[in-house]
Amino acid sequence: MTSTIDKRPPRLADDGPRAERPRARRPFRLPRANYPGGLAALIWLGIVVVPLYVLIVSTIQTRQSYLENGPLSIPDEITFDAYRTVLEGDFPRYLLNTLVVTVACAAIAVTLAVTVAYSVVRTRSRLSRRVFQLFLLGLAIPSQAVIIPVYLIITELQLYDTLLAIILPTAAFSLPVGVLILVGTMRDIDEELYESMALDGASQVRMLLQLVVPVSRAGISTVAVFSALNAWNGFLFPLILTQSPETRVLTLGLYDFVGEFRTDIPSLLAAVVLSIVPIFTAYLFARRQLINGLMGVGGR
Amino acid sequence: MRSSDPWRPRRPRTLAAAAVLALAAPTLAACGSDGPGGGGDTLEVWVYQDGSSTIQQEFVDRFNETSDIDIELTQIPGESYQDRMRTAMGTPNAPDVFFNWGGGSISDFVAEDMLVDLTPYFDDDPEFQDAFIPTILDAGAVEGRYYGVPMRGVQPVILFYNRTLFGEAGLEAPATWDDFLTAVDTFQRDDITPVVLGGADIWPNMMWLEYLLDRQGGSEVFDRIRNGDASAWGDPAMLYAAETVVELVDSGAFGNDFRSVATTNDGAPTFFASGEAAMHLMGSWEYSNQLTNQPEFAENDLAWTTFPTLPDGVGDPSSVVGNPTNYWSVNSQVEGERLDAAVEFLKLHGDEDYAQALIDNGDIPTTSNAVDLIGSSPNPEFAQFQYDMVENAASFTLSWDQALPASQSAPMIDAIDQLFSGQLSAQEFVDSMQEL
Amino acid sequence: MKPQTSKAPRAGRPGIAWAIPGVLFFAFFAAAPMGIVAYLSFTDWDGLSDPSWTGLDNWTRLWEDDGMRNAVWLSLLLTALTWLTQTPITLLLGVWAAGRQRNRAVLSAVFFLPLLASSVALALLWRTIFDPNFGLAADIADWFDLESADLLGSSRGAFAAILFVTGWQFIPFHMLIYQGGARQIPRSFYDAASIDGAGTVRQFFHITLPQLRNTIVTSTVLMVVGALTYFDTVLILTRGGPGDATEIVPYLMYDTGFAAFDLGYASAIACALVVVATTASLLLVRLTGFTRMRSTREGM
Repeated sequence: MTSTIDKRPPRLADDGPRAERPRARRPFRLPRANYPGGLAALIWLGIVVVPLYVLIVSTIQTRQSYLENGPLSIPDEITFDAYRTVLEGDFPRYLLNTLVVTVACAAIAVTLAVTVAYSVVRTRSRLSRRVFQLFLLGLAIPSQAVIIPVYLIITELQLYDTLLAIILPTAAFSLPVGVLILVGTMRDIDEELYESMALDGASQVRMLLQLVVPVSRAGISTVAVFSALNAWNGFLFPLILTQSPETRVLTLGLYDFVGEFRTDIPSLLAAVVLSIVPIFTAYLFARRQLINGLMGVGGR
Repeated sequence: MRSSDPWRPRRPRTLAAAAVLALAAPTLAACGSDGPGGGGDTLEVWVYQDGSSTIQQEFVDRFNETSDIDIELTQIPGESYQDRMRTAMGTPNAPDVFFNWGGGSISDFVAEDMLVDLTPYFDDDPEFQDAFIPTILDAGAVEGRYYGVPMRGVQPVILFYNRTLFGEAGLEAPATWDDFLTAVDTFQRDDITPVVLGGADIWPNMMWLEYLLDRQGGSEVFDRIRNGDASAWGDPAMLYAAETVVELVDSGAFGNDFRSVATTNDGAPTFFASGEAAMHLMGSWEYSNQLTNQPEFAENDLAWTTFPTLPDGVGDPSSVVGNPTNYWSVNSQVEGERLDAAVEFLKLHGDEDYAQALIDNGDIPTTSNAVDLIGSSPNPEFAQFQYDMVENAASFTLSWDQALPASQSAPMIDAIDQLFSGQLSAQEFVDSMQEL
Repeated sequence: MKPQTSKAPRAGRPGIAWAIPGVLFFAFFAAAPMGIVAYLSFTDWDGLSDPSWTGLDNWTRLWEDDGMRNAVWLSLLLTALTWLTQTPITLLLGVWAAGRQRNRAVLSAVFFLPLLASSVALALLWRTIFDPNFGLAADIADWFDLESADLLGSSRGAFAAILFVTGWQFIPFHMLIYQGGARQIPRSFYDAASIDGAGTVRQFFHITLPQLRNTIVTSTVLMVVGALTYFDTVLILTRGGPGDATEIVPYLMYDTGFAAFDLGYASAIACALVVVATTASLLLVRLTGFTRMRSTREGM
């Protein structure tokens, strides 16, 4: 793709004939310590850590202790009762629902984005340009704006209060970004590779599976993670399109815990912590893919 | 762009795409006429989840032991039962039997013929009809037809206070508005929040307006509003109520934080129980709530009284606002055997067993035999007070947000929030409500 | 849908049929709803009975509605303030994180944590922190002897809280974008500048900033579109209150649609939201070269 970096050497206002400075010792190093940046980083560290500290400490005490001592003090007695309360409740079911929704969304988004992107990149047709433009425009539709017609459609399809009601629109809204990313990745595949496969008499399906997909691995995993995160964190679709505990996903479950746990803040926050744990685990094992997925659009 | 597509004409593909779309469109339109979700041999019942919903669970379990058609009870927690129930009612997966507040909370459904008219069942079974206090049954009616069966205790709004704090300050329970203002001043001087208010939910704010209006202008003013006369919002009594509320807010009677304290997550009741606030105007459920969560406070400090009288008020001081009770209503999609089962389930709620279960929970059932059961309440004193309050009430005004249909109550709630947060003056509030 | 193969000497190309499943899926759940929402905006619909055509009623009402005017103003204000606060912070932190300082990796990982949680989880955490009686806000008010900890209860406080919480959540994301952008700046530029004796600040303004031009555009448009569609945080933290102090456009739409069930009018609000978001996204397409990517392909 077109490089976004301006290749011309930067123009510096003339600094006068100052003495030549010693070169940086290591070649890949910002030449100077970035003090303003470091200071900002320290301040930001505080802003990030204090709430996280409150989050954790609140969950390892009893409701009574939290109400009496407030969120800052370290409790005299550490207890994991809050976590037990959450895990013995409906949390595992919500987690399972979320997992189903997440995996299904990622699978749908990846499959369709791959086929669409392949067609956009390789088909010589004015239509394929239109297809690409459709998805570019789709990028501009905020899911909030279509929640009313989506509610109508899901209702008419008899899907209200099912996991499919969440999966289908969520996956659809992950498609534009997925197509954009994959079109970018697939465009870089060399024509010669296709030709050599064509010599072997490969069908389009084989070309896709044996050439395009393996070469676009990075892009595909980005799309998968992006759509999975979208599904994992989605709230508005579950809020409007589902109702019963059987179909409740984590985000909606958390929202409902407010009414259920009431001032049992330790349990409420324990649920918050537990909702982060799966993604955190994924982060530990697949840091790079996760970051790329998060940057889905931005990284491009 | 070069058109180098040698092997196929373009048009058929376009047509194919159009055909698929055309096929999909009728699918959209055709569906959606089936009965409510669950279907088959179960009845889906929705209830608002709180301290009392265990009773409903218990009776559903009991019902399922003998019935061929099982009931599945869904407890909907959270701050938005009303919104979510309404959302679901527009879908084929609507509940078969659901908890509601009668009145405006179901009038839209009645207008669309979505509820079973229960009047014939009451007519056919006088014992069932007589089991309930007539005024309560009527309060849930729409245009003279019964669509709801009372299923919880009476919920008048009561002025709760901390008797220990009042005692220490040498005060009595406020009977008049002057008493009340004196108490506010006294507690403010002692650094105690005079009145706890869970303003983040907004409907607790509404309770203050409801009582002030009722005491000042009588229950007729809201009756006119309820009957569609928006000009009644311009009644001088309404302006007085709004002005009084603004004075209370400005004087700090509700403390400085009330707008971010919620009632639905127990923030306000917990604060009240901490002994840092003296009064709490709340529905009668506050008592059982405190009894469950802060039993020591409920037993030692919690006391209650009626809303004080106003100096120039013409309203009857015995009048009550609040929720007469909650009701079960039945979706009109329920038919045949399932409807029979639903009716059988509803009839359980007229039984003495059910009334006794409510009593044990600290509630006052809306059945005619309630008076005989009060003695067995965990707190007979509070039970008797509540019973007398309702029994002797000159009128029982349904909570405004439940009395009005959604299209009016949502903007009203917004306007009340703006009044309490100083974005609307009393006059502006009254003006904007008349425009609805 | 069997793809066509070509017997031509050059590698065959997939038919446009490959794009059809994806296009249909997207059209059905995202594009068609756009059409339906436009239709509904000309109707009166309560979600129970059938929509009835009311012509331009909703649109004239939209034009005259003070609530809508307030919502648009708040949305624009929130968007502008989001950009003004987040851009300098993320730029500073991102460029810093692109450097090679010690501790940088550890700190970056900590900064990353808020990104792992859903908006719902974070809004719940902040809601307990802002609780004026039992939250951290109560403690802070005590230390400074403030009369009130009623942050969410005052108009400006609640607005600032939304701005802060969404910032807390999304700053790491934009920081990542800038980090990625800054990493791509060739070292030689800095080396050359060092030789010329340019200081850190000078280098930042003369090399880093101009080189990050495209990254800034990307991040900006993502911020703008994001801020225009904030919903979860508002619903949980303030419910649009106090009064209408945080009733931004997406929340107003939700409140009108799914609390008052004035779904026709809510559809008109949704349309207005799309117009604004589309304008912003078209800017994205214009300025960041997504279309250029396409045009380079045309020369193939």
